[in-house]
Amino acid sequence: MLNETYDVLIIGSGHAGGMAAKILTEYGIRCIMLNAGPVADVSHDAEKKPAYELPFRGFRPPGRLDHVFQSNEFNANVWVDEQEVPYTFEEGQPYNWVRVRLFGGRSLFWSRQSFRLSDYEFKAKSRDGFGEDWPISHADLAPYYSRVEGIFRVTGALDGPPQLPNGNFILDDAPWTLALQRFIDVAKPRGIPVCKQRSAQGRDGLASSVNLLLPDAEKTGKLTSIANAVVREITVDKNTALPNGCNFVDRLSHREMSVKARVVVLAAGTLESTRLLLNSNMANSSGLVGHYLMDQVYGPGVLASVPEARRNGNLNAVMGSSSIVPRFRNIDTKSDKFLRGYAFNATAATGAVGARNFTAYGAELQRKLDEYYGSGFHMTIMGEVLGRYENHVRIDKDRKDAWGIPVLHVDTKYTDNEFNMAKDAVETACELAEAAGFEILSKNDKPNPPGYSIHEVGTCRMGNDPKKSVLNKFSQSHDHKNLFVVDGAQFTSAGWQNPTMTILSLSMRASEYLAGEMLRQNI
Amino acid sequence: MRRRDFVRAVLAVGTAPKLLLSQQAANPAPPPPAPVPWLLGLTSKTPIPQVEAADQVAAAELRFFTQQQMATLTRLSDVLMPPMGEKPGAVRAQTPMFLDFLIGDSPDGRKRLYSEGLDWLDAEAKKKFNLEFAKLNDAQADELLKPWLRTWMNDHPPQERHADFINIAHDDIRTATVNSKAWFLAPQVGAEPRTEEELYWSPIEPDVSQVKADCASVPPHVQAEPKAGHPMPSYPR
Repeated sequence: MLNETYDVLIIGSGHAGGMAAKILTEYGIRCIMLNAGPVADVSHDAEKKPAYELPFRGFRPPGRLDHVFQSNEFNANVWVDEQEVPYTFEEGQPYNWVRVRLFGGRSLFWSRQSFRLSDYEFKAKSRDGFGEDWPISHADLAPYYSRVEGIFRVTGALDGPPQLPNGNFILDDAPWTLALQRFIDVAKPRGIPVCKQRSAQGRDGLASSVNLLLPDAEKTGKLTSIANAVVREITVDKNTALPNGCNFVDRLSHREMSVKARVVVLAAGTLESTRLLLNSNMANSSGLVGHYLMDQVYGPGVLASVPEARRNGNLNAVMGSSSIVPRFRNIDTKSDKFLRGYAFNATAATGAVGARNFTAYGAELQRKLDEYYGSGFHMTIMGEVLGRYENHVRIDKDRKDAWGIPVLHVDTKYTDNEFNMAKDAVETACELAEAAGFEILSKNDKPNPPGYSIHEVGTCRMGNDPKKSVLNKFSQSHDHKNLFVVDGAQFTSAGWQNPTMTILSLSMRASEYLAGEMLRQNI
Repeated sequence: MRRRDFVRAVLAVGTAPKLLLSQQAANPAPPPPAPVPWLLGLTSKTPIPQVEAADQVAAAELRFFTQQQMATLTRLSDVLMPPMGEKPGAVRAQTPMFLDFLIGDSPDGRKRLYSEGLDWLDAEAKKKFNLEFAKLNDAQADELLKPWLRTWMNDHPPQERHADFINIAHDDIRTATVNSKAWFLAPQVGAEPRTEEELYWSPIEPDVSQVKADCASVPPHVQAEPKAGHPMPSYPR
């Protein structure tokens, strides 16, 4: 048992790893899956509590998770601790690395937005000359997108323009509420499309690897999973020079162990997979492992108020829809300030408008909160970050994590393209809000730090040319045919779209290709 | 199996029923010493002791703010979030002492924001009204505060000196008050904010050996702080 060689070693149990496990085991391939953290069980690890029972009344515990803006006292224990697994960054260039090592990873907590990349992303270089094209197009990935949308039960309308391809949706045919209709009426003449949101419903309230993918894999009897396994490095066969497994340390007992496999599939999340490759010193004949780190611009936005929702109490007819405004810049028109583009999440919300939106306090503020309740129209951006060679990660040999594994150093920053995009977005949002007769309450045109979006991609980009890419079009290492990287690391460009659907589809496609190659005994 | 072992096995089986019978008898033999059977006493039927959060009933001493700063903060909290209707204000919710605890535990940037901000506010009061801030009436306090109020979006509080302190402190005072037990117990009216009640995650299989780990003796990684006098402080979103 201890010296068994498995067919495939999968490192990571989130969306990418979970999909690989499902596909490979369904082809009869024996897989061993390692996950760095424990299994979380909400029935004994979590309990509903009021804030006053917590030591910090809900405030994020001081000194913890400084770079996880999404954290607070309630959820502090789900994120990877920055002291236990530290990382470093350049002075003045903060990076927000947001990680979850629980079994299932960030797939336990993601926001469910489910968009496909389009050929505006896959063939971006052919259109604007920047960066590199992906070695695949939308047509290559479309069948996988459809299957993934089916598994994840994505709702949406078939209302996407070419830059937001339609998919295999549970159709959303609810009418727009009045506020959104007013918004559409001013957006449309400006050539700005407004579409129904697309969201993965999953099952029983969860759309995660742990309830949609891993159970299928476990049903085959071909999956062995280990929790609390912190992988140190991928091991290499002395004779063949091919990867043949890994060394790992048990998170709690600190016992050193190893597993062997014929194929290694990395799915630890963009930066952890890259960190592992760098620490293992492999797959890098291109010299590009760690380079072209990208994510998405989040933070800029506008909050407005819909007057009708304040005047009359009939909230349901006026408010309540949410929309996605897909990228409209550099599609039919050309901006001279930035390449690519951004999307808006535009939502007519029915809840409270927060106190930060008023320059008032005390009784006067409470009057405003009462008056503006249920009238908030939120517009926030998701912008494409360009892939630049200089934006990269490398190993910081002087720092080690709690198990002595060298940590990552992140050297990245946003440039004029991202800042100009943010300014344009806020100007446009204000223009639309004013045209629609909404009252603008607050706005921000400064991006959050890189990494905040939790959509970090790149650093092992795919391409046809082994000198300009780390992986081929099947997410397979150019250097080692039995090594695959199936998470966000493989992205050649970031797009504005949330990467989850694409990660799932690429992992599915890579896994089917791998299964085929193994069955034909090419690997 | 050798005969000796077989006899042992038979004897073990033979005595087991006797032990059971003795436990059920009116005057049972004393149970074997701990830990084995006594640990099994806690079950799902065991009553759970009812406890209060310590800061509802216990007093704490000032740990970070000076007396003068605390007086300023108390008056500021009362002005920014006075009692309204049935709801307690910041003072009755014990927000000032809570903030002394929170800020006292916070990184330097946030500590400085508060201590310098409170000192500045007090100095402004003396300059304009010849009174310390703690002695200003509502109208006078409003004159000092109003020019600094700003609107802002998540993660981007005002960075202009003084506006940063006033608006972040306002936000913190509100959050601490709304999340207090006193607020929670008052009846809910209209659009008044509600005490947060959410799923709280306990540490999940925590690694208690970390204190011995390599990382414990290594200084924390570089926190990027701008060199300006008021660096972007750490604050709740």
